[in-house]
Amino acid sequence: MSRLRGLTVPLVWLGLLLAACVGMDQLEPVFRWLEPSSRSVIYARADFLSLLGKHVLVVSVAGALSIIIGVGASIAVTRQWGRDFLPLVAQVAAIGQTFPPVAVLALAVPVLGFGTLPVIVALLLYGLLPIVRNTLAGLQGVSADVREAARGMGMRPHQRLWRVEMPLAASVIVAGIRTSVTISIATAAIGATMGASNLGDPIISGIVNGNTAHVLQGALLIALLALCVDSLFAWLQSGRSGL
Amino acid sequence: MAGVTPAAHSMASAKANPVLVFLMVSSVMAWLVLSSVSVAPNRIVPGSSVGVFGVAGWPGVVLGLLPVIIAGVLALKSSRRQLVVVALLVVLTLAALPLWLALAAHNLVSPELPGARLGIGAGIWVVLFLLLLSVIEVRTRLGLSRWQGGLLLLIPMMSFSAVLIATPWLDSLALRREFVTRSDAFYTAIGEHLLLVSASVGCGLVIGVTLALIMRHWPRLRGPGFALLNFLQTIPSLALFGLLIAPLAWLAANHPWLASLGISGIGWAPALLALIGYSLLPLVRNTFVALDDVDPGVIDAARGMGMTSGQVFRQVRLPLALPVLLEGIRITTVQAIGLAAVAALIGAGGLGRFIFQGLGQAAMDLVLLGALPILIMALLADALLGALGEWLQPGGAA
Repeated sequence: MSRLRGLTVPLVWLGLLLAACVGMDQLEPVFRWLEPSSRSVIYARADFLSLLGKHVLVVSVAGALSIIIGVGASIAVTRQWGRDFLPLVAQVAAIGQTFPPVAVLALAVPVLGFGTLPVIVALLLYGLLPIVRNTLAGLQGVSADVREAARGMGMRPHQRLWRVEMPLAASVIVAGIRTSVTISIATAAIGATMGASNLGDPIISGIVNGNTAHVLQGALLIALLALCVDSLFAWLQSGRSGL
Repeated sequence: MAGVTPAAHSMASAKANPVLVFLMVSSVMAWLVLSSVSVAPNRIVPGSSVGVFGVAGWPGVVLGLLPVIIAGVLALKSSRRQLVVVALLVVLTLAALPLWLALAAHNLVSPELPGARLGIGAGIWVVLFLLLLSVIEVRTRLGLSRWQGGLLLLIPMMSFSAVLIATPWLDSLALRREFVTRSDAFYTAIGEHLLLVSASVGCGLVIGVTLALIMRHWPRLRGPGFALLNFLQTIPSLALFGLLIAPLAWLAANHPWLASLGISGIGWAPALLALIGYSLLPLVRNTFVALDDVDPGVIDAARGMGMTSGQVFRQVRLPLALPVLLEGIRITTVQAIGLAAVAALIGAGGLGRFIFQGLGQAAMDLVLLGALPILIMALLADALLGALGEWLQPGGAA
């Protein structure tokens, strides 16, 4: 029961987000006051719900792939047969986090062209780093005694992985996924400059056309989306640590 | 090779190193399959890709691949001596990459077309990436320190600078052409970028340390304080920049003295404010941890020696806290270097301007001219501040 009560915060943010998407027209007087000289004060090139949908889609496709590849690779390099690759993967995950996300995004365009694809690839690659780092930390944090005990109980390697190591590492892994998704939501918005249409669009076109009202609408929605997703992860993590 | 540890010796047995073998095989395949360079008659026409065989023909390609193949074979039996040779071969190959580009420029770029340009192809980028991974791997296996690893990379960097500066061989490189036409703007942009980053980290440091001290003094402020900073950190950068435009524009419109200071809805003001906002969480958190984590026994001992509380702070707490605080500065600086690039969208200048201009004109080499220096700046800041932190660690590397 108390577990579900923790969902209130994400649900409130989600409610605000959807309400803002649907009811932005109702706020027209406010934006009119802010931007009295402009012809259009509500961004009209696309409706906010579809922009939100595209934003969420890009972030979730990239996020899902980073989780599968990142967690998979981390499991592989912590097994006996993949251990040779562990130092390199750990070092790359650490060094790679120094790369600014914008630079990664910008470098994806020369290789993959404009549109949604380079944004997804950049988010996927950049999103891998925190996930790999935390999954490695989580799996290596399982104490040797616990592993030994699991082996002593006659568990097979895959049972040890899924019933002992992964549950113990879960909270650290979820923290890594949270960092990854937070960065992805922010970086995807910048992807609007390279032809991916999403919630960054109103901001970019608002800046280009000097329309502060459009900027504000996009910024408001992106901020609400980020807060909604982040609070959802906060709830997930609080549940995990209680297990 | 002074940093050899016994552990590294025992690690380097005669067993194969599958990582290096994998990297070398991938390098050879990427080199042969992917496009090596692209050639365009001018800036507007998209370049046509040329493979390795188009650049040099069979003998040249085989000769160029020789060091990589030898390195791959040597990695099959990775004793220490073999690894050292692999390291040298990899460094040699990296150092030879600019010569390969010069060869491509000589063979493919027609000297009659003054605007003709040579683009670096996917093959070279991928091989560069794989070889850098090999350097990291060899460095780890040989137990070399960060500095020794850096020295290994110095040779290719010097070779690249030498070819670029001292010879006209790479004059047709597209990246260089973009640089030459706007070298003044480039240096200005680097200056703006550095100024924005250092101003935000400096202001953030003063505000952050003050906030941390206030929160230490009044523990009731701790929860709400960190909640607020976390909240700030969650807001995506583009959104925060956007949210600051309207209030700052209003302030500037209604208070002329603010406008006369150069504050306006777009420009450096919202960028600086947002960067300071993002810098606060890591700085406050690390200051807090730094001051809180000191062993109470150490403080007791210092008091027992008759130190006043001021002396305890200056002579005991501060030296112990400094490395942790520096770690916060490192995180903040690296983060600010990336975020300052986004700030170009709201007119704050900096290297990000080239990225977004390049994206707007579909001029990929202009994008590179912005993105590569940002990347190098972030890596340098990370390495230097990291090394400084290690050096300041009490009983550490000093």
